[in-house]
Amino acid sequence: MLKNGESESILYRLYALSGLKDALKSRRHFSDYIFKVILGLVIIIIVSPFFLILFQVAGVGFWQVFGTGPGQGLEFLFTFPGAGLEGGIRNAFVGTVELIVVASAVGIPLSVCGAIYINEYTRPGHVRGIVEFTSDVLAGIPSIVFGAFGFVFLVDFLHIGMGIIAGSLTLAFMMIPTILRTTQEALRAVPMSLREASLALGATKWSTTWNVTLRAAFPGVITGFLLAIGRVMGETAPLIFTAGNSLIVPTELAGPGSWIASMPYTIWAYISDPREYLQVKAHGTALALMIMVLAIDLIANLISRKVTRRLV
Amino acid sequence: MPEYEHNIEVHGLSTWFGKKHILKDITCYFRDNTVTAIMGPSGCGKSTLLRTLNRLNDLVPSFRRKGEVLFKGTDIYGVGTSVYDLRKHIGMVFQKPNPFPMSVFDNVTYGPKLHGVKDEDELNKIVETSLRKAALWDEVKDELQSPAPNLSGGQQQRLCIARALSVDPPVLLMDEPVSALDPISAAKIEELIIELKQDYTIILVTHNVQQAFRVSDQAAFLYLGELVEFDETKRILEAPADSRTEAFITGRIG
Repeated sequence: MLKNGESESILYRLYALSGLKDALKSRRHFSDYIFKVILGLVIIIIVSPFFLILFQVAGVGFWQVFGTGPGQGLEFLFTFPGAGLEGGIRNAFVGTVELIVVASAVGIPLSVCGAIYINEYTRPGHVRGIVEFTSDVLAGIPSIVFGAFGFVFLVDFLHIGMGIIAGSLTLAFMMIPTILRTTQEALRAVPMSLREASLALGATKWSTTWNVTLRAAFPGVITGFLLAIGRVMGETAPLIFTAGNSLIVPTELAGPGSWIASMPYTIWAYISDPREYLQVKAHGTALALMIMVLAIDLIANLISRKVTRRLV
Repeated sequence: MPEYEHNIEVHGLSTWFGKKHILKDITCYFRDNTVTAIMGPSGCGKSTLLRTLNRLNDLVPSFRRKGEVLFKGTDIYGVGTSVYDLRKHIGMVFQKPNPFPMSVFDNVTYGPKLHGVKDEDELNKIVETSLRKAALWDEVKDELQSPAPNLSGGQQQRLCIARALSVDPPVLLMDEPVSALDPISAAKIEELIIELKQDYTIILVTHNVQQAFRVSDQAAFLYLGELVEFDETKRILEAPADSRTEAFITGRIG
């Protein structure tokens, strides 16, 4: 007999490590092993698109965002578009930030108030059912339909015209169902006895909701904001007919001066162009957008964890 | 001499949730500076009676009520009674500890702030007196700013008592306040209840006959929504006048 660990070949060790050694003990061991392998393969299939996308986008656009040449790195983010390799995507970068800020400023308070009303002030029944059903349907509507609605209703019917207002209101419409439902779920998870404790001290319903219920639900509410912002940040379709496009940042609230560029729209415009350097710029923009979404995710996570630690 | 005899009196109280008749024509009173135990098997209406006293049942949409509940001689369900002022005067401690997701300090100042206390020194004083009364001050005085949910279960429940005391209510309602706690924490809170009755009218809902015997001066025994007996606790437990009371005390129903 060989002494253990002395002359086992590398192949044999791999064989043992892969679990095959155990798997071949019996039929039941083997089928158990097969399922483990299948599930592992499925996971690889599930996560590979993310890495492939990252690989593709970063492969082409990496130097655009992190390089130091003309129109690269910080210059790429903070200069307006120029000729050829020169210039960057400041119009789109600032545009996306402005659109998201305005859309959140409109969408978040509306949906949080709506969720509070539905969950705290109505009884389970028809009204609540209708609102829940509507927002679930709204959340599933394709973004191009929001774009078309924004164009027909805001731009045309209300005569707002294309630009920052119509664009961000359309994004706000898209955010509302997500935030409404996540906020509502977070509020529902707050135990009734917490509300009762506040009411039993002589608090009004409003003060109970604001100071106790919403506070206890805060981590879940933040997650809803993050999901909604992450979703609309990368949307092109709602903006095509509503935001217009621009090589500068908007200077007015109405008319052509309010037209606004956005990063997804810029990606779409650049990638539809056969010129090589525009392809590179498109990928750079895409990479920058991915990093922004990731950063928002991380910040929101941090806030929610900090708050959770302080509260619970 | 005030024109009312006790802080809280109940006259001919009947309540319903939807069609279900919960309390049936209850008449009793809660003597000042005593502990009154409300006993009875599960589902007999103990908690409903307690929550009728500070109108917390109003939250249930199908709740209906007949009869009077008098607080200092006025019907609390009468026209012109502010439910918010009423609850300031009738504190409540719940079955499970339910501290707010805030610091210990903020938990105790929540009530006073609601009712308009803004002065920093006064708030500090309220926190100290309330926590001392709840026998918690020595344990938490160095960590007033730490989150209340980090305290142990028994500490949390004492914090909830301190929170209820922070607005200085003459009446304190307690809904099985120790049933979710370990025996040592439970014993501490029982001691506390006996101490607190010097200053407060305490109404204690309990499932536990021994606890009622240890803590309370008078007791009400409820069975299926009826007030079966209402007298000195000792008298009821030593010589129950009704066979249902006897069955409950001896453990045959419960």
